[in-house]
Parts: sequence; structure tokens; C-alpha cells
Amino acid sequence: MKIVVCIKQVPATTAEKRYTDDLRLDRASAEAIINPLDEYAIEQALRLLDAGTVDEVGYLSMGPEQAGEALRRALAMGGESATLVTDPALAGADEWATAAVLAAALDKLAPDVALMGMASDDARGSLVPGAVAARRNLPLLSYGAELALADGQARIRRLSPTGFDWIAAPLPVVASVTDQVGEPRYASLKGIMAAKRKPLDTWSLADVGLSAEDLRSGALTRVTDARPPEAKPPTERIENVSADEAAAKIADWLAARKLV
Amino acid sequence: MSNDIFFLAEFADGAPQRSALELAAGATELAAASGGNVVALAYGPGAGDGAAGLGAHGVARAIVLRDDAAPAITAGPAAVEAVRAASPLAVLAPATPNGRDLAAALVGLADLPAFGPVRAVRVVDGIVETEQATLQGSVVTTSRPVDGAPQPSVVLVLANTFTPTEAGSGTAEVSRAEASDHPFTLATIVESHPADAAVVNLEEATVIVAGGRGIGSAEGFGQLDELAAALGGAVGASRAAADAGWVPYQLQIGQTGKVVKPALYIGLGISGAIQHRVGMQTAEHVIAVNKDPDAPIGEFADLFVVGDLFQIVPKLTAEIRRRKG
Amino acid sequence: MTYRLTDEHLELRAMVRELAEERIAPRAAGIDESAEFPWDLKELLAQQDLLGTAFGEAYGGTDLDQLSQVILVEEIARADATTSLIPIVQKLGALPILLAGNDEQKTRYFPRLASGEWLAAFALTEAAAGSDVASNRMRATRDGDDYVLNGSKRFITHGSIANLITAFALTDPEAGGRKGMSAFIVETDTPGFAAPRVEHKMGIRGSPTAELTFDDVRVPAANRLGDEGEGFKIAMATLDRSRLAIAAQAVGISQGAVDAALSYAADRQQFGQRVSDFQGIQFMLADMASQTEAARQLTYAAAAAIEADAPDLPYWTSSAKLVAGDTAMRVTTDAVQVLGGYGYITEYPVERMMRDAKITQLYEGTQQIQRLIVARQLLARAGAGARR
Repeated sequence: MKIVVCIKQVPATTAEKRYTDDLRLDRASAEAIINPLDEYAIEQALRLLDAGTVDEVGYLSMGPEQAGEALRRALAMGGESATLVTDPALAGADEWATAAVLAAALDKLAPDVALMGMASDDARGSLVPGAVAARRNLPLLSYGAELALADGQARIRRLSPTGFDWIAAPLPVVASVTDQVGEPRYASLKGIMAAKRKPLDTWSLADVGLSAEDLRSGALTRVTDARPPEAKPPTERIENVSADEAAAKIADWLAARKLV
Repeated sequence: MSNDIFFLAEFADGAPQRSALELAAGATELAAASGGNVVALAYGPGAGDGAAGLGAHGVARAIVLRDDAAPAITAGPAAVEAVRAASPLAVLAPATPNGRDLAAALVGLADLPAFGPVRAVRVVDGIVETEQATLQGSVVTTSRPVDGAPQPSVVLVLANTFTPTEAGSGTAEVSRAEASDHPFTLATIVESHPADAAVVNLEEATVIVAGGRGIGSAEGFGQLDELAAALGGAVGASRAAADAGWVPYQLQIGQTGKVVKPALYIGLGISGAIQHRVGMQTAEHVIAVNKDPDAPIGEFADLFVVGDLFQIVPKLTAEIRRRKG
Repeated sequence: MTYRLTDEHLELRAMVRELAEERIAPRAAGIDESAEFPWDLKELLAQQDLLGTAFGEAYGGTDLDQLSQVILVEEIARADATTSLIPIVQKLGALPILLAGNDEQKTRYFPRLASGEWLAAFALTEAAAGSDVASNRMRATRDGDDYVLNGSKRFITHGSIANLITAFALTDPEAGGRKGMSAFIVETDTPGFAAPRVEHKMGIRGSPTAELTFDDVRVPAANRLGDEGEGFKIAMATLDRSRLAIAAQAVGISQGAVDAALSYAADRQQFGQRVSDFQGIQFMLADMASQTEAARQLTYAAAAAIEADAPDLPYWTSSAKLVAGDTAMRVTTDAVQVLGGYGYITEYPVERMMRDAKITQLYEGTQQIQRLIVARQLLARAGAGARR
């Protein structure tokens, strides 16, 4: 049984440079991180590997050459091998094009489960898992708080409006998991050292059987305008007052806006 | 190709969900600009019985994709068939897990342009145009399909982007979608574990009182319940509070929980990490109470109170009750 | 001495920094308050293979170079000085074996130390003879295939929680500490060994500092390190190297204080402007950061000196510990000043850092001892020059 986890490299949004560094630029530190929500997919896959449920975990990413760093980081957490699809024609790929490329690469890798995080960190629509399943003609099990595999079936535990359901489909499947699967592990020192020796293949668009024309320049959508959000009035602060006074002031504030 | 506006209408127990009514209102707005009809793609338990009632919300036609309790994605292939047959200008989908699954099926099976989640969508000179805030909310972008892109545009719409219109009279013409055998239909619910107590749907609340790590315990949420009751609102939570097991995950607001847009959001003991912020940043009014004067929520709240929420909240609840008489 | 930071060094730093910021820093105040050893963090470090950096791969270690080991300690200490002592003391306790142990001893003990299953400690200091090691009194008497150890040790970091202690005792009292002391590996479950008292300390409060008693503790002769009488030499060679880790700890504490002061000064408003807008504060921050950087560079150079097994390595490691320890004390004190009243209360981390910093001027040789060593090295060089 084999899982391929699809990961995306994103800029570190949380890398507030709170710390001054020595003057050697810390290139290795954080510029290229794994999309944080993809780390949960990695963790889920590695838990199934640890439990002996699956016997192989691989990784797939689409992106510029630097995305290889994210794959190395994933390999440091565990798993055997990684594949990067990189091609100049992929710059600016939207979700539709991304799904097309990942689907083509997954057809070659042929895992039992193609596993993804529930969303990327850059406000896209979480459409890639479903679109990949659509193209690959496979069932989709999305937003799992947990993934289980048994008897030729994959199952996910998914929140329902009040509780949760177990949803099943026959393998192979495309699945996505949420941050409820459990905190991602840290790569160990030996893991980091071993990752350098694990195979990392690089494929071009042609290697997955696609051409730039197939992808229509990588996108079906275009941005026509970008601007800062509307300015909002500064925050009013209430500080150093008694609880009674604070409560009264909040009530006044609400009343002034007809919220009570 | 048509100028019709389709939208995904989720049903439960025969009734349209709030997202369906919001999108009906949005689709009506767009259809007025495009000169087309409003068409609902209805799914979920009881959709077959309830679909005609959407006529009261401006819907001309309703296509029932499925009306059983199967996972929403199983309605995907039927949605694709219906959309292919009519080639509308746009399909509006709620930016919920179910809505995203169905939107993804459309994008992947029919090679369609996808937008969102958006906070505004309109039709300008016959072209779909959307507005989207990036994760950090630092940039607002406007997007359109590329020239020659296939139709329809699939648009994920955030909750509370549109306001449901008052129900009028009218009945939608109801038809059933052709069954389809794409493997999407193979997903089945094999176990169902509803909660003992009813869980409110946060996306429908106009006032939300949300608690975070600072609440400290499940019991601590008791006073949030009281404040929410006094204000006629619902209780929400940050991921930290849900992870700690103090509230069910259904109440989690944020990147991996619900995206809400209430008229009033009160954050108690919530630091305001970006992951939470993206779930509530479009609230009209934001009040935060935190003992940490440097909490990030203090930078984007409209009113930031530095103090002990355990002392302030009961007094606030009492004060609101007093003023309401 | 020159060194170069490689990609591997940067990668290690990124790894440890992430762990320290996410898992260790949030525990620091609690560890200080409860004064309890952070067993959870010991497990975490063991899991991440960070307690085996000094041991060869054959023993399950990761065999990192000296500079990597410095970076490891520095990054942990930046978050919490107590926790940084876990890898520091693991290596300190093992150094006598690394320097003078035979293959059989290494094979027997290193795997358990490298995995973190066992903790090590180093027992040299005695109550009546602190820095004056040559005046030690603990005895080891040969009895058949064993030695029988009698006496006591004081101020032994991790002495009460270690599974293995490298202990120093007189095998030839007549010859005195310098010539008559030998080194032994003592397993702490040996009858007669006890740790009756743990000190109440000003800083590094989660790290137990114990008094140890040896009451007819039988140690197999196979556990003697090196020959009889080599104890003093082994102890000094150990300290010449181990004090590098204290320098690294001091640099980490300093950097933690610089970070805390910077972040406070940039956020906090006073008289309608940010604290960091005041030039007086800016000058303090500049001094704190540049002095920390100077200490770091000297510490890295000292790591290179050990790596090269330089004949004057005591000069480098003692200079580094001297400068880094004094810097940590000054920088943390200034950090408290930058935070004003907030710096003095436990809600902010700098008062803890200030208390923690003090120990780096004291243990593994006080700053006065470091000056003696540096001076001795200087004079030896000058003497050698004069003779030439």
C-alpha cells in the first residue's frame, strides 16, 4: 500500500523577523516552508506508515526548483522518495492547471491514496484535491479529521453539522485531511541527515505527458486589479479601568452602534 | 451558452440552508445584470421536496442533483451534467467544505475557471468579476476569466456576502438531474455520530461571542453562553479552545473552521492569530477583551479592552440585560 | 582560528530554533517557577536525536562537529538555559569517556547515552575544594577486581538524576590530587551511592544541582578511565573542552535577552512614542547586540580550536567562556533595564535570563579561574617567544 502526499511550498507567513540575526543570511531557516496545512497530510501518512498500514510514503510537489527544499523537509520527517514537477510553463498556474499537472503526475506514480492538506496557505479555494480526483476518475474523501485504510477501502472521519461521520470509498482514492489529524512531527536530526540521501526526481511537463498548450498558459483566470484593503478606523482601547467601568463602556459602545 | 446564473443549494431535512438563500439572493442580483435566469442545483436530504419552494426567493428553475443523505461530492457528476447542458455564465458555490467539493468536481471534470473564496461577485458587461482578499487581508484583488475561457465561471462565495431576501411567492420549476456513474458517487457514509446536543450553525449568527485559550476550561464557556444569550447571539471558539475539547469543533472559527461574517463579533481570551483572523475579519464590528495588552487582536479590533474577562464579562452580561429591561 | 558556517550548520540551527521556539520557550517560565527538571523536554531532545551529537554513528550518535554542538546549545539556551543543560551535561559527563575511555567502555555506555535513555553527569567538585581541584579528598581504594569509593561531591549538575556519573577520586592520597587522582565510571544504581540533597538556586532552577555521597561504592576496575593517577589530567582536558558549551549557553542567553528587549522596545509606547525611538534605548540595544555577536564569534572560533585539537585550545575556550559569561550577565542586566519595571517581574522572561546568566560566570571554573588559564597560556607563549 502506497501513499503519495502532495505538498506545496509557500513563503513563510509566520516568519516574522522578530529576531535579529547575525549577518549570514539564514537561507535554510524559513523562506521555503511546506504549506502548514500540508504538514498534517504528511503526519497522517507517516502515522499510517508507523502503524504498518502502508509500506511506502512518497511526496509530490509542483513548483519552481526551490520547491525541492520543501520536499527535502518532508523527506526529513519520513517517507522514501519525492518527485518535483517543475517547468517554466507552470509559472502562475491556477488551481485548474495545478490539478491537471498533479493528476498527470499521480497517474504515473499510481498511489493507493493521493493525500493532500485541506487548503493552501494563500487563500485559494481548496479545490485541488477534488479537481485532481475528478481528472483521475477516482473517488474523493475530503476534509478528513482522520484517515483509515482497511479491506480495500479508505475511510475518513469528517465533521457533520452536529457530530461526525465516517465516509468510505474503494481504493484508490484522492483524500484531504484537516489539522485535526494531530500535530505534525518535527524532523529529527537523523531524519534530516537521511533525507539528503533519499531519491528526489525532477520531472518536466513533458515527463507527465502534458504540453504548455494543454494548460492554456497555466490559468483560466486573471487578476485585473490589486489594491490595499479599505482603511478602517483605528482601534479604540479601554485600559486601566475597573471591570464595572469596562463593562459600562462596552455597553455604551454597543448602544451607540445600535447593537443592543 | 446562456446568461443564466446557477447556484448550489444545499438542503437539510427538506429546508434550504442559509447558504442556499444567500446565494439565491446573489444569483438574483447577478442574473439581473446578465439578463438570464436563476437556476438552483439542489442537493441534500429533502432537496426534492423543498426545491420548488426556492421560487419564493427568485429562483426560476431548480435541478435536483440528489436528495439523499449521501456525501455532497456524490452530487458532483450530476452537477457537471446539468452545467454542461446549460452552459450558464456562472455557478455560485458556498465556500463550505461541501460547496468546495462540488466546485472542485466542476472545475476538474469540465475544465472551468474557478474564483474565490470571494467577498464580492458581479457581472460587468456580461463578464463575471470577483473580489477576493488574500489570506492576510493585506491585498484585495479583482479577477476575471481569461479571454476565451470556458463558461461558466465557478465562484466560491463567503458566507454573508449576500443577504437572503424576504420570501415572496412563486414556485420554481423542478427537474431531476440525470444519474451519472463517475467514481465520485462511490463515497458513502458508513457511520454517523451526531452530537447529543444540537449545535448551532455559526454561519447564520448575527452576533458571535467567541472564546479562546484564555477561557481556560469548558466551564468557562458558561459565561460566554450567558453573554451570547443576552445579546441574542451564538458562541464560537478559536482552534485552541476546540483542540482543548472545551467546545465541539463545529464552533471553531478560522482558517480550518468556519468563516463567519456577523454584525458583531466579541472575542474573549483570543489572541488573534492569523489563522483565527481569516475566519472573522469581515465581521462588521469587532470587540476584543484580553489581559495581554500586546495581543494581536488589539491591532484589528474596533474596540479593544485590556482586562480580566472573568470579571468583565458577567458585569457586561448584567449591564446588557439591565439596558434591555 | 577560523571557521565557516556550512549549509548543514544553518540547517541544524533552523531545526533547533523551531523546536526551541515552539516547544521549549513556552515551558521556560514554568520550569523556572516549579524548579522541576523538564523530563518532557529531555524526551523531546532525545527523540530528535539531539542528545547524541557528541557520539559516533557506530554508537547511535550523530557525530556532529564542535561548531554544530555549539549551535545546538546556543539555540536551546536562547529559549531556556535550564533545558540547554540537558545536552551540555550529557556531553560533560561523557567527555572523560570520550577522551580516555577504551572501546569496551564506549561500546557499553555510549549507545544508552546517545539515545538519551541514560543521563550522564560529571562529579569532580567537592565541598572543601571548589575550583581547587588538586585538594580533593574523595578516596578510591583497590579491592581485588574492584575499587571502593568513599567520600562526597558537591554542586554536581544532574547528579541526582543521572544514570551514569564520571567521578574523580584519589587512588594515591600520598601523591595528592594532581598525581594521585583517578577517574571512574559509576552507575548510580550501585549500592552506597546517594544524592541526599539538591540545592535551591538563583537560576537554572529546573536543573538539579546535587550533593552526592559515596559510601563504600564498589566500582569494577574495568570502569576506571585511563591509568591510575591520570584523573587530574582527564579532568582538566574535559574542562578545557566542556567550557565551550558554557560559552555557547551564555551566548544563547544573551541572544534571548536581546530578542526580548528588542521586541519590547519596538512594541511598547511611552510618552507617545515607541520605547525604541529613544536614542538612549537604541544605544543600549546596539551595545547588547554587538557584544553578543562578539561573544558568539569568539565562541565559534573556540569551537574551531577544539575541532583542530589546537595546542592552545585552553586559551580559546577559557577566553570564550570568560567573554561570553560576562557578556550574558551584562546583556541580561541591560535587558531588564530596557523593560523597566516590567523587566523585574516574572511576567516577562528577562529577569529569569538575568538570574540564569549569573551561573555562566561561576560554573566549570569561575571567571577568575578562566583569567588564570588565559594568563598562563599567554605567559607560556611569551616565555616560548623569549626563549626563541
